[in-house]
Amino acid sequence: MSEERETRLFMISPRSMLTPDQLVRMVHAFGEEAIVKETCYGCLVEGPRSKVLEIRDKVREDHPNEVFTKCRAYPCSDPRRCRAQHGTRPGFAQLEEEWALLARIQRGLEAVDKGAKPSPREERKKLSVNEFKRICEVQE
Amino acid sequence: MKIFIDPPNSLVLFDLVERFGHEPLSAMAAIQERVDNIEIDMPPMNVTLDDVVKGLKYAGVEVPSGVRGRLAVWGPMIEEAEAAIVMDECPYSFGCVGCERSNLMVKYLLKRRGIPVLHVDYPEDDAQATDLVARIKEFLEGLQ
Repeated sequence: MSEERETRLFMISPRSMLTPDQLVRMVHAFGEEAIVKETCYGCLVEGPRSKVLEIRDKVREDHPNEVFTKCRAYPCSDPRRCRAQHGTRPGFAQLEEEWALLARIQRGLEAVDKGAKPSPREERKKLSVNEFKRICEVQE
Repeated sequence: MKIFIDPPNSLVLFDLVERFGHEPLSAMAAIQERVDNIEIDMPPMNVTLDDVVKGLKYAGVEVPSGVRGRLAVWGPMIEEAEAAIVMDECPYSFGCVGCERSNLMVKYLLKRRGIPVLHVDYPEDDAQATDLVARIKEFLEGLQ
């Protein structure tokens, strides 16, 4: 991963009361040397990797289960991606789908913080020969 | 530890892996290398000759170019990975932004590597999401 530049996407869970505007103001208030761009789902932060990771940690400290992040390949406002410059914006369909899922993940994280454990999974058993024969006969 | 995530551009998996103290290997980082270091028009839509050759290592020449192109980016990450988390039945990994054949190849390559792999289902409700988070946390903590 590049050490010089990191662009990170911060997405707010739909269950959160935080708005993209509040998130951007909060990131600006950290006073780190990074570009911050407000988006409909949260914000983009771009800067040297160490600074961006500091911002990520501070955001997680204030809003541990409400803001989710991942890195982004293209820089902010890249004409190949940015819609303001008539970019194609591929991948937005996936972001939209995952945005809807974040509400459930937020609840999951809160439950795990309170001590929720994974439910035991049923072990897959081998099919007996008689059962297999019965299935074959039904399909005939 | 380096954890390969599938789908490789998943926000949820990337965030959870980082949150529980590991380094996710994602498609974004691999594409960033191409954006920053190689002057090609629009990765991953455009590829270099090297990418085509790399893709051939994981899938034969008769395999559709979309599968080979994806594997050229994901294959080296699978080789680098020390463990993997696979989310099955993601609605966005099939259709206009996904490729089921590539997903099957990824699962095959992971099995062949023999590294620890956690399979989780795409959560349909809050209880399943809690189970997913708890399962991922338990898996990642067990790796340390």
